[in-house]
Amino acid sequence: MNGIATAPTRPALDGADARSFAMLAELSEALAVSLDLRQTLLQAVNRIAEAMQAEAASLFLLDPATGLLNCRVCVGPVDLTGLILTPGQGVVGLAVTENSVQIVSDAESDPRVHRGMDAESGFVTRSLLCAPLSTAHGPIGALELINRRDGKPFDATDALVLRLLAAPTALAINNARMARELVEQQRMRREFELARRLQKALLPKRRRDGFPLLAVNVPAHEISGDFYDYFYLPDGRLGFVIGDVSGKGLDAALLMTRAASLLRWAGKDGLSPARWLRRANEELCETTHGGRFVSALVGYYDRQSDSIELAGAGFPPALFWNNGACMEYPSGGPPLGIVADATYTISDIALAGGTLYAFSDGVTDVRIGDGRLGDRGVRALIERHAELAPESRLRAILTELKSMRLVDDTTIMVIERPREHPPEILLRQTFAAEPERMRGMRADLRVALDRAGIAPDLRDRLVLAVDEACCNIIRHAYAGAVGEIGLRLRRRVDVLEFELRDSAPRVDPASVRPRDLDECRAGGLGVNFIDSVMDGWEFGARPGPVGNLLRMHKRCSPALEDET
Amino acid sequence: MTLLNAVVREMHGALAVVRLSGEVDLSWSQQVRAAILESLQQHTSVGVELSAVTYIDSSGIAALVEGFQTARGTSRQFSLIAASQPVMAVLQLARLDRVFPLVETLDAAVRAAAAPSGVEVGG
Repeated sequence: MNGIATAPTRPALDGADARSFAMLAELSEALAVSLDLRQTLLQAVNRIAEAMQAEAASLFLLDPATGLLNCRVCVGPVDLTGLILTPGQGVVGLAVTENSVQIVSDAESDPRVHRGMDAESGFVTRSLLCAPLSTAHGPIGALELINRRDGKPFDATDALVLRLLAAPTALAINNARMARELVEQQRMRREFELARRLQKALLPKRRRDGFPLLAVNVPAHEISGDFYDYFYLPDGRLGFVIGDVSGKGLDAALLMTRAASLLRWAGKDGLSPARWLRRANEELCETTHGGRFVSALVGYYDRQSDSIELAGAGFPPALFWNNGACMEYPSGGPPLGIVADATYTISDIALAGGTLYAFSDGVTDVRIGDGRLGDRGVRALIERHAELAPESRLRAILTELKSMRLVDDTTIMVIERPREHPPEILLRQTFAAEPERMRGMRADLRVALDRAGIAPDLRDRLVLAVDEACCNIIRHAYAGAVGEIGLRLRRRVDVLEFELRDSAPRVDPASVRPRDLDECRAGGLGVNFIDSVMDGWEFGARPGPVGNLLRMHKRCSPALEDET
Repeated sequence: MTLLNAVVREMHGALAVVRLSGEVDLSWSQQVRAAILESLQQHTSVGVELSAVTYIDSSGIAALVEGFQTARGTSRQFSLIAASQPVMAVLQLARLDRVFPLVETLDAAVRAAAAPSGVEVGG
């Protein structure tokens, strides 16, 4: 700033003001560093009563749930702790509802004063001062002082000082509350996370190739009301369950865990699907209350007869898809847990190359703009991807569903007879066993792996492993002799198989092993690279008098995992 | 990007730089090895510049390891400079990324070689 200004003369604080400021500073500090708010508040109210020469002081807090004022801290001859006032009742109530300081200089004649305590205790209230504890969201309580010790009534200066002291008190209480809420929220989040993980652990692990059943569950929130399960019976049939518990939240999730284990238990005896559902229904009717119920579809897939036997309890219709035609199999009975003597009907389906789809209603409920996907949308969705292999198909359907808006837990189960997919040849070449040929081989292999959709970092590691294998053949198998190496790369479902053949003298498989990486020396790293890049490898003799065969494999399709 | 395989030796102040490019593999890793060992005979600070290396196999890594061990045995400074991502990936696979002194830029390596307490090998 420019210019010369005369410093405004400031009146020196007189004794009372100075004491008030010191008191305020001390109080603010004590509240700011407080770890135990209850203890600090008691000290604060004591100090305020002392500083303001009051006979008694109390602190009331507003319960946001009930709207009542509760005396939490009290000092003085009469203990009011626990006293509950309605808003508007007495001077405290007024201070809170009007969010303003109340001064009562003559309690006897003042209509604002709530009597009753005096009569019981023998304490005589002469003068009152009450300041609201204000926050940005309105008052959260009030500080009340009773009777000046010098016998005089509270005055405007007292009111000003109390208002000043109420501010840091309100702030501290508010902070403590927010901190407590935060802790509570974190605790709940942790518990939900735990519940979610427990639920996920209940779902069966995905089986690998050649398994007739695929399923996926996408919870709309932390925890899901949907579930699925499958298991083999001793006679070789595959039992399956897909279900949906009514409602949302923790109690629905708990019912889900119970329903899932109950349905698994009821199906393990190999009962017909209708009796299986009856048994689970009877059990759930006895123990499920509060209008909760479970819709479910259960059944068996028999690989030998290539057929499915199923029954539904209030579950959306199963769709059987074959040669572009779609058949619906609606549930033959009500959801589980409602009517104790409900009966269910069985459907038999001969798969004959077709596919059975079971969807929880989360799928038909998927939002497209203002509308729902609906049955027709689901059918169109299946039709669009029908040509894909089951795993890719399920992934494509899920990707499309997720591009819309999922509003409910979504679970999809697909059953079809596993098809034999002949391995696909990605690269086949023969080249001279010379170091100079490696660069060209690596380039061809990179192209082949790129075409197969392998991510670049994995591609580079695979190229390194194959290169190292070739170098070992050149150096140790041919050891300077002229010869050739044959490379074949095949993909069987999601496994890449690398095969290297040579016509060199036999190498003892026991001599091919990785070295200890902790020892820093120049040679022998190649086998380590192969070992850490590939999921497995085997080395042995080719049929005939000479030649070795190295097979390496790596699983590399992105897994279809349940979403979290 | 296809780079020609090459090994070039340069001096940057007190630092002898062996600059490699292309795909370091069995077909010429012996040349790389010879260049590194020769540099270590003639100079007290040697850095192998790897920013233009698009591929390296275990025989190339072996040449680097041998250089590192020779330097340690003869109290020379030895570092890998500006290792490219493909080189880093292989060093990590071999668990050697924490064994070699790695310097991010040539400038930093030149400064370290000029300083009395530069990059010490063997730490």
